[in-house]
Amino acid sequence: MIALLLIVAFYPGGGPKRTAEGGGPAMLAGAPAVSYTLKRIDGQLDGLDRYRGSVVLMNIWATWCPPCDAEMPELEAFSKEIRAKGVVVIGVDQGESQGVTAAYARKHGVTFPILLDQEQAYGRSYSAVGLPTTIIVDRSGHIVKGIDGQLTLAQMREAVAPALRAQ
Amino acid sequence: MSSRWFALAVAFVAIALVVAQDIIPTTALFHTWQYALALAIAAFVMVGYALGAQRGEDGPLGKRLAVAQLGALVVLGAGLASGLLGPDTDTIVRSPGTVAPLPDLGRAAFFSAVDGAAVARGDAHVLLRKRGEGEIDIPAGTKRYVGNSVLFTEPTHAAFIDAYDGAGNHLTITQPDSAAFLSPILLFHNEATIAGKKLPFDTFRTPGAKRVVRTIYFSAQDTAKMNHIATPNKNVPTVLFAVDDEAGKTLDIKIGASGEYVSVGGLRLRASIGTYPQLIVASAPAPIALIAGLIVFLAGLVWAAFAIPPRAALTEAHG
Repeated sequence: MIALLLIVAFYPGGGPKRTAEGGGPAMLAGAPAVSYTLKRIDGQLDGLDRYRGSVVLMNIWATWCPPCDAEMPELEAFSKEIRAKGVVVIGVDQGESQGVTAAYARKHGVTFPILLDQEQAYGRSYSAVGLPTTIIVDRSGHIVKGIDGQLTLAQMREAVAPALRAQ
Repeated sequence: MSSRWFALAVAFVAIALVVAQDIIPTTALFHTWQYALALAIAAFVMVGYALGAQRGEDGPLGKRLAVAQLGALVVLGAGLASGLLGPDTDTIVRSPGTVAPLPDLGRAAFFSAVDGAAVARGDAHVLLRKRGEGEIDIPAGTKRYVGNSVLFTEPTHAAFIDAYDGAGNHLTITQPDSAAFLSPILLFHNEATIAGKKLPFDTFRTPGAKRVVRTIYFSAQDTAKMNHIATPNKNVPTVLFAVDDEAGKTLDIKIGASGEYVSVGGLRLRASIGTYPQLIVASAPAPIALIAGLIVFLAGLVWAAFAIPPRAALTEAHG
Protein backbone atom coordinates (compact mmCIF):
# COMPACT_ATOMS: atom_id res chain seq x y z
CA MET A 1 0.00 0.00 0.00
CA ILE A 2 2.84 2.42 0.89
CA ALA A 3 4.57 1.60 -2.37
CA LEU A 4 1.33 2.28 -4.18
CA LEU A 5 0.94 5.65 -2.53
CA LEU A 6 4.53 6.58 -3.34
CA ILE A 7 4.02 5.66 -6.96
CA VAL A 8 0.91 7.81 -7.06
CA ALA A 9 2.63 10.68 -5.29
CA PHE A 10 5.34 10.82 -7.92
CA TYR A 11 3.17 9.81 -10.82
CA PRO A 12 3.48 12.61 -13.36
CA GLY A 13 -0.10 12.35 -14.50
CA GLY A 14 -1.21 11.34 -17.92
CA GLY A 15 -1.49 8.34 -20.12
CA PRO A 16 -3.36 9.22 -23.26
CA LYS A 17 -4.88 12.68 -23.11
CA ARG A 18 -8.63 12.79 -22.88
CA THR A 19 -10.34 13.82 -26.05
CA ALA A 20 -11.09 17.51 -26.22
CA GLU A 21 -14.81 18.01 -26.36
CA GLY A 22 -14.59 21.00 -28.65
CA GLY A 23 -17.20 23.67 -29.06
CA GLY A 24 -17.47 26.27 -26.35
CA PRO A 25 -20.35 28.69 -25.84
CA ALA A 26 -20.15 30.21 -29.33
CA MET A 27 -21.52 27.02 -30.90
CA LEU A 28 -24.77 27.26 -28.91
CA ALA A 29 -26.37 30.07 -30.96
CA GLY A 30 -29.91 29.14 -31.98
CA ALA A 31 -30.33 26.34 -29.44
CA PRO A 32 -33.07 26.43 -26.79
CA ALA A 33 -31.74 27.82 -23.51
CA VAL A 34 -31.61 25.10 -20.84
CA SER A 35 -32.89 26.15 -17.42
CA TYR A 36 -32.26 24.75 -13.95
CA THR A 37 -34.11 26.00 -10.89
CA LEU A 38 -31.60 26.93 -8.20
CA LYS A 39 -31.37 28.89 -4.98
CA ARG A 40 -30.31 32.52 -5.25
CA ILE A 41 -27.99 34.20 -2.77
CA ASP A 42 -31.09 35.71 -1.11
CA GLY A 43 -32.49 32.19 -0.60
CA GLN A 44 -35.26 32.45 -3.24
CA LEU A 45 -35.61 29.85 -5.98
CA ASP A 46 -34.91 31.11 -9.48
CA GLY A 47 -34.05 29.86 -12.95
CA LEU A 48 -33.46 31.12 -16.46
CA ASP A 49 -36.92 30.07 -17.67
CA ARG A 50 -38.56 32.53 -15.26
CA TYR A 51 -37.33 35.35 -17.51
CA ARG A 52 -39.01 34.09 -20.70
CA GLY A 53 -40.32 37.14 -22.55
CA SER A 54 -37.28 39.24 -21.65
CA VAL A 55 -33.87 39.41 -23.24
CA VAL A 56 -31.44 37.88 -20.72
CA LEU A 57 -27.73 38.35 -20.29
CA MET A 58 -26.58 35.44 -18.15
CA ASN A 59 -23.10 35.70 -16.67
CA ILE A 60 -21.50 32.43 -15.49
CA TRP A 61 -18.80 33.26 -12.99
CA ALA A 62 -17.10 32.54 -9.65
CA THR A 63 -15.67 34.74 -6.90
CA TRP A 64 -12.15 33.30 -7.20
CA CYS A 65 -11.93 34.15 -10.92
CA PRO A 66 -9.87 37.35 -11.55
CA PRO A 67 -11.46 38.24 -14.94
CA CYS A 68 -14.93 37.79 -13.37
CA ASP A 69 -13.90 40.15 -10.59
CA ALA A 70 -12.64 42.70 -13.12
CA GLU A 71 -15.84 42.44 -15.17
CA MET A 72 -18.26 42.73 -12.23
CA PRO A 73 -18.41 46.58 -11.89
CA GLU A 74 -19.25 46.95 -15.59
CA LEU A 75 -21.79 44.13 -15.38
CA GLU A 76 -23.52 45.85 -12.47
CA ALA A 77 -23.50 49.18 -14.33
CA PHE A 78 -24.90 47.46 -17.43
CA SER A 79 -27.70 45.79 -15.45
CA LYS A 80 -28.85 49.18 -14.12
CA GLU A 81 -28.53 50.90 -17.49
CA ILE A 82 -30.38 48.24 -19.52
CA ARG A 83 -33.17 47.33 -17.05
CA ALA A 84 -35.51 49.96 -18.50
CA LYS A 85 -35.18 48.36 -21.95
CA GLY A 86 -36.45 45.01 -20.64
CA VAL A 87 -33.09 43.28 -20.48
CA VAL A 88 -32.46 41.13 -17.42
CA VAL A 89 -28.94 40.45 -16.13
CA ILE A 90 -28.48 37.35 -13.99
CA GLY A 91 -25.32 35.89 -12.53
CA VAL A 92 -24.79 32.16 -12.04
CA ASP A 93 -22.05 31.39 -9.53
CA GLN A 94 -20.27 28.12 -10.19
CA GLY A 95 -19.88 25.73 -7.30
CA GLU A 96 -19.49 28.09 -4.38
CA SER A 97 -21.30 28.46 -1.07
CA GLN A 98 -24.06 30.98 -0.39
CA GLY A 99 -22.00 32.74 2.31
CA VAL A 100 -19.00 33.32 0.06
CA THR A 101 -21.04 34.51 -2.91
CA ALA A 102 -23.40 36.69 -0.88
CA ALA A 103 -20.45 38.34 0.89
CA TYR A 104 -18.85 39.05 -2.48
CA ALA A 105 -22.09 40.57 -3.82
CA ARG A 106 -22.48 42.78 -0.75
CA LYS A 107 -18.86 43.94 -0.89
CA HIS A 108 -19.09 44.83 -4.59
CA GLY A 109 -22.61 46.29 -4.49
CA VAL A 110 -24.06 43.73 -6.91
CA THR A 111 -27.83 44.17 -7.22
CA PHE A 112 -28.80 41.76 -10.02
CA PRO A 113 -29.95 38.22 -9.09
CA ILE A 114 -27.20 35.66 -8.52
CA LEU A 115 -28.02 31.96 -8.67
CA LEU A 116 -25.95 29.43 -6.72
CA ASP A 117 -25.07 26.57 -9.07
CA GLN A 118 -23.21 24.18 -6.77
CA GLU A 119 -23.39 21.29 -9.24
CA GLN A 120 -22.17 23.60 -12.04
CA ALA A 121 -25.07 22.50 -14.24
CA TYR A 122 -25.30 25.84 -16.10
CA GLY A 123 -21.56 25.87 -16.67
CA ARG A 124 -21.67 22.40 -18.19
CA SER A 125 -24.82 22.91 -20.25
CA TYR A 126 -23.57 26.19 -21.69
CA SER A 127 -20.18 24.67 -22.62
CA ALA A 128 -18.25 27.14 -20.48
CA VAL A 129 -14.61 26.63 -21.42
CA GLY A 130 -13.52 29.30 -18.97
CA LEU A 131 -14.88 31.97 -16.65
CA PRO A 132 -16.57 34.31 -17.12
CA THR A 133 -18.91 33.03 -19.83
CA THR A 134 -21.76 35.21 -21.07
CA ILE A 135 -24.91 33.85 -22.69
CA ILE A 136 -27.49 36.08 -24.41
CA VAL A 137 -30.99 34.61 -24.52
CA ASP A 138 -33.80 36.11 -26.62
CA ARG A 139 -37.41 36.66 -25.58
CA SER A 140 -38.47 33.25 -26.93
CA GLY A 141 -35.90 31.44 -24.77
CA HIS A 142 -33.32 30.71 -27.48
CA ILE A 143 -29.63 31.40 -27.25
CA VAL A 144 -28.56 34.32 -29.41
CA LYS A 145 -24.90 34.29 -28.54
CA GLY A 146 -22.39 32.64 -26.22
CA ILE A 147 -19.20 34.50 -25.38
CA ASP A 148 -16.12 33.21 -23.60
CA GLY A 149 -14.16 35.72 -21.52
CA GLN A 150 -14.45 39.12 -19.90
CA LEU A 151 -16.61 41.77 -21.60
CA THR A 152 -16.47 45.54 -21.46
CA LEU A 153 -19.60 47.67 -21.06
CA ALA A 154 -19.53 48.45 -24.79
CA GLN A 155 -19.28 44.75 -25.65
CA MET A 156 -22.24 43.98 -23.38
CA ARG A 157 -24.37 46.62 -25.16
CA GLU A 158 -23.29 45.21 -28.51
CA ALA A 159 -24.03 41.63 -27.41
CA VAL A 160 -27.69 42.27 -26.49
CA ALA A 161 -28.45 44.66 -29.37
CA PRO A 162 -29.54 41.98 -31.94
CA ALA A 163 -31.87 40.34 -29.41
CA LEU A 164 -33.38 43.73 -28.51
CA ARG A 165 -33.95 44.59 -32.18
CA ALA A 166 -35.69 41.28 -32.85
CA GLN A 167 -39.45 41.27 -32.18
CA MET B 1 -21.88 -30.76 -53.30
CA SER B 2 -24.50 -29.72 -55.85
CA SER B 3 -24.84 -26.08 -56.87
CA ARG B 4 -28.16 -25.99 -54.95
CA TRP B 5 -26.62 -26.98 -51.63
CA PHE B 6 -23.55 -24.85 -52.24
CA ALA B 7 -25.70 -21.76 -52.92
CA LEU B 8 -27.82 -22.49 -49.84
CA ALA B 9 -24.72 -22.93 -47.66
CA VAL B 10 -23.34 -19.62 -48.97
CA ALA B 11 -26.69 -17.94 -48.22
CA PHE B 12 -26.71 -19.28 -44.66
CA VAL B 13 -23.14 -18.12 -43.99
CA ALA B 14 -23.82 -14.68 -45.52
CA ILE B 15 -26.97 -14.24 -43.43
CA ALA B 16 -25.10 -15.33 -40.29
CA LEU B 17 -22.41 -12.72 -40.98
CA VAL B 18 -24.93 -9.92 -41.57
CA VAL B 19 -26.88 -10.87 -38.44
CA ALA B 20 -23.53 -10.78 -36.59
CA GLN B 21 -23.06 -7.23 -37.98
CA ASP B 22 -26.25 -6.31 -36.15
CA ILE B 23 -25.34 -8.11 -32.91
CA ILE B 24 -21.71 -6.96 -32.66
CA PRO B 25 -21.62 -3.87 -34.89
CA THR B 26 -18.38 -2.46 -33.53
CA THR B 27 -16.29 -5.37 -34.90
CA ALA B 28 -13.63 -3.93 -37.20
CA LEU B 29 -13.94 -6.85 -39.64
CA PHE B 30 -17.25 -5.51 -40.95
CA HIS B 31 -15.57 -2.35 -42.24
CA THR B 32 -12.78 -4.07 -44.18
CA TRP B 33 -12.63 -4.40 -47.94
CA GLN B 34 -12.01 -8.13 -47.50
CA TYR B 35 -15.38 -8.51 -45.79
CA ALA B 36 -17.11 -6.49 -48.51
CA LEU B 37 -15.39 -8.65 -51.15
CA ALA B 38 -16.50 -11.85 -49.39
CA LEU B 39 -20.12 -10.63 -49.37
CA ALA B 40 -19.84 -9.62 -53.03
CA ILE B 41 -18.55 -13.11 -53.95
CA ALA B 42 -21.40 -14.65 -51.94
CA ALA B 43 -23.86 -12.46 -53.82
CA PHE B 44 -22.34 -13.56 -57.13
CA VAL B 45 -22.78 -17.26 -56.20
CA MET B 46 -26.36 -16.72 -55.02
CA VAL B 47 -27.39 -14.67 -58.07
CA GLY B 48 -25.81 -17.27 -60.36
CA TYR B 49 -27.81 -20.08 -58.75
CA ALA B 50 -31.05 -18.08 -58.62
CA LEU B 51 -30.86 -17.12 -62.32
CA GLY B 52 -30.15 -20.74 -63.30
CA ALA B 53 -32.96 -21.98 -61.08
CA GLN B 54 -35.38 -19.49 -62.63
CA ARG B 55 -34.50 -20.92 -66.02
CA GLY B 56 -35.48 -24.35 -64.64
CA GLU B 57 -31.94 -25.74 -64.28
CA ASP B 58 -32.76 -27.09 -60.80
CA GLY B 59 -36.32 -28.22 -61.42
CA PRO B 60 -39.47 -27.01 -59.60
CA LEU B 61 -37.67 -27.07 -56.23
CA GLY B 62 -34.96 -24.78 -57.56
CA LYS B 63 -37.56 -22.22 -58.69
CA ARG B 64 -38.87 -22.03 -55.12
CA LEU B 65 -35.39 -21.93 -53.63
CA ALA B 66 -34.67 -18.94 -55.87
CA VAL B 67 -37.19 -17.01 -53.76
CA ALA B 68 -35.20 -17.91 -50.63
CA GLN B 69 -32.04 -16.77 -52.40
CA LEU B 70 -33.72 -13.47 -53.20
CA GLY B 71 -34.43 -12.95 -49.49
CA ALA B 72 -30.84 -13.81 -48.64
CA LEU B 73 -29.66 -11.29 -51.24
CA VAL B 74 -31.74 -8.56 -49.57
CA VAL B 75 -30.10 -9.39 -46.22
CA LEU B 76 -26.69 -9.46 -47.83
CA GLY B 77 -27.33 -6.14 -49.58
CA ALA B 78 -28.25 -4.55 -46.23
CA GLY B 79 -25.02 -5.84 -44.72
CA LEU B 80 -22.92 -4.68 -47.67
CA ALA B 81 -24.54 -1.23 -47.66
CA SER B 82 -23.93 -0.75 -43.95
CA GLY B 83 -20.31 -1.87 -44.22
CA LEU B 84 -19.58 0.35 -47.21
CA LEU B 85 -21.84 3.37 -46.59
CA GLY B 86 -22.31 3.37 -42.81
CA PRO B 87 -20.10 5.35 -40.45
CA ASP B 88 -16.96 3.98 -38.85
CA THR B 89 -17.39 3.08 -35.21
CA ASP B 90 -17.15 6.16 -33.00
CA THR B 91 -17.21 6.32 -29.22
CA ILE B 92 -18.47 9.68 -28.01
CA VAL B 93 -17.59 10.61 -24.45
CA ARG B 94 -19.08 13.82 -23.09
CA SER B 95 -19.55 15.40 -19.71
CA PRO B 96 -23.07 15.35 -18.28
CA GLY B 97 -25.18 18.29 -19.42
CA THR B 98 -23.30 18.73 -22.69
CA VAL B 99 -24.29 18.22 -26.31
CA ALA B 100 -22.45 16.37 -29.07
CA PRO B 101 -23.47 17.19 -32.65
CA LEU B 102 -23.82 14.15 -34.92
CA PRO B 103 -23.75 15.79 -38.36
CA ASP B 104 -23.82 12.48 -40.28
CA LEU B 105 -27.12 11.64 -38.61
CA GLY B 106 -28.51 15.19 -38.69
CA ARG B 107 -29.02 14.98 -34.94
CA ALA B 108 -27.43 16.01 -31.67
CA ALA B 109 -26.79 13.77 -28.66
CA PHE B 110 -27.74 15.28 -25.30
CA PHE B 111 -25.87 13.79 -22.37
CA SER B 112 -28.21 14.21 -19.42
CA ALA B 113 -27.21 16.47 -16.55
CA VAL B 114 -26.89 14.36 -13.42
CA ASP B 115 -26.12 14.76 -9.75
CA GLY B 116 -24.01 12.54 -7.53
CA ALA B 117 -26.89 10.20 -6.73
CA ALA B 118 -27.59 9.59 -10.43
CA VAL B 119 -23.91 8.84 -11.06
CA ALA B 120 -23.93 6.37 -8.16
CA ARG B 121 -27.09 4.71 -9.53
CA GLY B 122 -25.66 4.70 -13.06
CA ASP B 123 -29.03 5.40 -14.68
CA ALA B 124 -28.17 8.48 -16.79
CA HIS B 125 -29.52 8.53 -20.35
CA VAL B 126 -28.41 9.90 -23.67
CA LEU B 127 -31.07 11.57 -25.83
CA LEU B 128 -30.95 12.07 -29.59
CA ARG B 129 -32.69 15.21 -30.79
CA LYS B 130 -33.50 16.59 -34.20
CA ARG B 131 -35.19 19.92 -34.72
CA GLY B 132 -38.87 19.36 -35.49
CA GLU B 133 -38.81 15.69 -34.48
CA GLY B 134 -39.32 13.85 -31.23
CA GLU B 135 -36.53 12.71 -28.95
CA ILE B 136 -34.97 9.27 -29.17
CA ASP B 137 -34.01 8.00 -25.73
CA ILE B 138 -31.11 5.55 -25.51
CA PRO B 139 -31.25 3.86 -22.11
CA ALA B 140 -28.50 1.44 -21.10
CA GLY B 141 -28.68 -1.91 -22.89
CA THR B 142 -30.87 -0.58 -25.73
CA LYS B 143 -30.00 -0.13 -29.40
CA ARG B 144 -31.51 2.56 -31.60
CA TYR B 145 -31.28 2.55 -35.39
CA VAL B 146 -30.98 5.70 -37.49
CA GLY B 147 -30.45 5.01 -41.19
CA ASN B 148 -27.36 2.82 -41.59
CA SER B 149 -26.25 3.53 -38.02
CA VAL B 150 -26.92 1.85 -34.74
CA LEU B 151 -26.51 3.80 -31.52
CA PHE B 152 -26.16 2.40 -28.04
CA THR B 153 -24.52 3.32 -24.77
CA GLU B 154 -21.92 1.64 -22.62
CA PRO B 155 -21.26 2.61 -19.01
CA THR B 156 -17.92 4.19 -18.19
CA HIS B 157 -16.44 4.83 -14.74
CA ALA B 158 -17.56 8.14 -13.28
CA ALA B 159 -17.36 10.00 -10.00
CA PHE B 160 -19.25 13.12 -8.98
CA ILE B 161 -17.00 15.22 -6.74
CA ASP B 162 -18.12 17.49 -3.92
CA ALA B 163 -15.31 19.67 -2.61
CA TYR B 164 -15.16 21.95 0.43
CA ASP B 165 -12.36 24.07 1.83
CA GLY B 166 -11.19 23.98 5.45
CA ALA B 167 -13.84 26.53 6.45
CA GLY B 168 -16.63 24.39 5.01
CA ASN B 169 -17.23 26.47 1.88
CA HIS B 170 -18.26 24.60 -1.26
CA LEU B 171 -15.68 24.90 -4.03
CA THR B 172 -15.84 25.27 -7.79
CA ILE B 173 -14.34 22.30 -9.63
CA THR B 174 -12.61 22.75 -12.95
CA GLN B 175 -11.00 20.29 -15.31
CA PRO B 176 -7.41 21.14 -16.20
CA ASP B 177 -7.18 19.22 -19.46
CA SER B 178 -10.65 19.18 -20.95
CA ALA B 179 -12.85 21.56 -22.86
CA ALA B 180 -15.59 20.62 -20.37
CA PHE B 181 -13.98 23.16 -18.07
CA LEU B 182 -16.63 23.35 -15.37
CA SER B 183 -17.35 19.74 -14.55
CA PRO B 184 -17.48 18.18 -11.10
CA ILE B 185 -17.85 14.80 -12.80
CA LEU B 186 -14.74 12.79 -13.49
CA LEU B 187 -14.90 10.30 -16.36
CA PHE B 188 -11.41 8.81 -15.88
CA HIS B 189 -10.38 8.96 -19.54
CA ASN B 190 -6.71 8.51 -18.68
CA GLU B 191 -4.89 5.53 -17.24
CA ALA B 192 -2.21 5.24 -14.60
CA THR B 193 -0.11 2.09 -14.41
CA ILE B 194 0.49 0.99 -10.85
CA ALA B 195 2.28 -2.25 -10.00
CA GLY B 196 1.74 -3.36 -13.59
CA LYS B 197 -2.00 -2.75 -13.43
CA LYS B 198 -3.68 -0.07 -15.50
CA LEU B 199 -6.15 1.96 -13.47
CA PRO B 200 -8.54 4.74 -14.52
CA PHE B 201 -7.06 8.16 -13.75
CA ASP B 202 -8.36 11.75 -13.79
CA THR B 203 -7.47 15.18 -12.45
CA PHE B 204 -9.41 18.21 -11.28
CA ARG B 205 -8.69 21.62 -9.78
CA THR B 206 -10.29 23.65 -7.03
CA PRO B 207 -9.11 27.16 -7.99
CA GLY B 208 -10.83 28.71 -4.96
CA ALA B 209 -8.55 26.68 -2.66
CA LYS B 210 -5.56 26.60 -5.06
CA ARG B 211 -5.39 22.82 -5.17
CA VAL B 212 -4.91 20.25 -7.92
CA VAL B 213 -6.26 16.79 -7.19
CA ARG B 214 -5.16 13.64 -9.00
CA THR B 215 -7.55 10.74 -8.66
CA ILE B 216 -7.34 7.02 -9.33
CA TYR B 217 -10.41 4.82 -9.54
CA PHE B 218 -10.43 1.46 -7.77
CA SER B 219 -13.26 -0.93 -8.48
CA ALA B 220 -14.87 -2.81 -5.60
CA GLN B 221 -12.72 -5.83 -6.54
CA ASP B 222 -9.52 -3.76 -6.53
CA THR B 223 -10.52 -2.20 -3.20
CA ALA B 224 -11.16 -5.63 -1.66
CA LYS B 225 -7.62 -6.71 -2.62
CA MET B 226 -6.02 -3.79 -0.76
CA ASN B 227 -5.67 -4.88 2.86
CA HIS B 228 -4.63 -1.55 4.33
CA ILE B 229 -7.39 0.68 3.10
CA ALA B 230 -9.03 2.40 6.05
CA THR B 231 -12.59 2.15 4.86
CA PRO B 232 -15.25 0.22 6.75
CA ASN B 233 -16.78 -1.28 3.62
CA LYS B 234 -14.41 -2.98 1.23
CA ASN B 235 -17.14 -3.99 -1.21
CA VAL B 236 -17.54 -0.55 -2.73
CA PRO B 237 -15.47 1.28 -5.32
CA THR B 238 -13.03 3.85 -3.98
CA VAL B 239 -11.10 6.83 -5.29
CA LEU B 240 -7.59 7.76 -4.30
CA PHE B 241 -7.11 11.51 -3.91
CA ALA B 242 -3.56 12.90 -4.26
CA VAL B 243 -3.79 16.62 -3.45
CA ASP B 244 -1.11 19.00 -4.75
CA ASP B 245 -0.69 22.73 -4.30
CA GLU B 246 -0.51 24.87 -7.43
CA ALA B 247 3.29 24.57 -7.46
CA GLY B 248 2.90 20.81 -7.92
CA LYS B 249 3.95 19.81 -4.39
CA THR B 250 1.98 16.82 -3.12
CA LEU B 251 0.35 17.73 0.20
CA ASP B 252 -1.53 14.57 1.12
CA ILE B 253 -2.92 11.32 -0.26
CA LYS B 254 -6.01 9.50 0.94
CA ILE B 255 -8.54 7.00 -0.29
CA GLY B 256 -12.27 7.58 -0.01
CA ALA B 257 -15.10 5.13 -0.47
CA SER B 258 -18.09 6.11 -2.58
CA GLY B 259 -20.22 8.67 -0.74
CA GLU B 260 -17.70 9.12 2.10
CA TYR B 261 -16.12 12.49 2.97
CA VAL B 262 -12.33 12.51 3.23
CA SER B 263 -10.21 15.35 4.68
CA VAL B 264 -7.09 15.57 2.54
CA GLY B 265 -4.62 18.35 1.75
CA GLY B 266 -6.79 21.09 3.26
CA LEU B 267 -9.90 19.93 1.39
CA ARG B 268 -12.95 17.87 2.29
CA LEU B 269 -13.72 15.69 -0.69
CA ARG B 270 -16.50 13.26 -1.46
CA ALA B 271 -16.72 11.08 -4.56
CA SER B 272 -20.09 9.59 -5.51
CA ILE B 273 -18.77 6.74 -7.61
CA GLY B 274 -20.71 4.96 -10.32
CA THR B 275 -21.07 5.07 -14.06
CA TYR B 276 -22.03 7.46 -16.83
CA PRO B 277 -22.91 6.45 -20.40
CA GLN B 278 -20.66 6.89 -23.40
CA LEU B 279 -22.38 6.80 -26.78
CA ILE B 280 -21.28 4.38 -29.46
CA VAL B 281 -22.23 5.02 -33.06
CA ALA B 282 -21.58 2.16 -35.48
CA SER B 283 -22.86 1.08 -38.85
CA ALA B 284 -25.45 -1.68 -38.87
CA PRO B 285 -27.73 -3.25 -41.45
CA ALA B 286 -31.04 -1.40 -41.81
CA PRO B 287 -33.41 -3.44 -39.62
CA ILE B 288 -36.31 -3.25 -42.11
CA ALA B 289 -34.18 -4.73 -44.90
CA LEU B 290 -32.74 -7.31 -42.53
CA ILE B 291 -36.12 -8.47 -41.26
CA ALA B 292 -37.81 -8.38 -44.67
CA GLY B 293 -34.95 -10.33 -46.24
CA LEU B 294 -35.02 -12.94 -43.48
CA ILE B 295 -38.79 -13.37 -43.83
CA VAL B 296 -38.52 -13.87 -47.60
CA PHE B 297 -35.60 -16.27 -47.11
CA LEU B 298 -37.47 -18.40 -44.57
CA ALA B 299 -40.70 -18.25 -46.60
CA GLY B 300 -38.79 -19.44 -49.67
CA LEU B 301 -37.31 -22.35 -47.71
CA VAL B 302 -40.73 -23.38 -46.34
CA TRP B 303 -42.29 -23.05 -49.79
CA ALA B 304 -39.52 -25.23 -51.21
CA ALA B 305 -40.01 -27.82 -48.46
CA PHE B 306 -43.70 -28.14 -49.39
CA ALA B 307 -42.67 -28.84 -52.98
CA ILE B 308 -40.81 -31.98 -51.93
CA PRO B 309 -42.99 -35.08 -51.44
CA PRO B 310 -41.94 -37.05 -48.30
CA ARG B 311 -40.25 -39.81 -50.27
CA ALA B 312 -38.63 -37.36 -52.66
CA ALA B 313 -37.42 -35.34 -49.69
CA LEU B 314 -35.69 -38.43 -48.33
CA THR B 315 -34.11 -39.04 -51.72
CA GLU B 316 -33.10 -35.37 -51.98
CA ALA B 317 -31.55 -35.54 -48.54
CA HIS B 318 -29.35 -38.45 -49.61
CA GLY B 319 -28.29 -36.67 -52.75
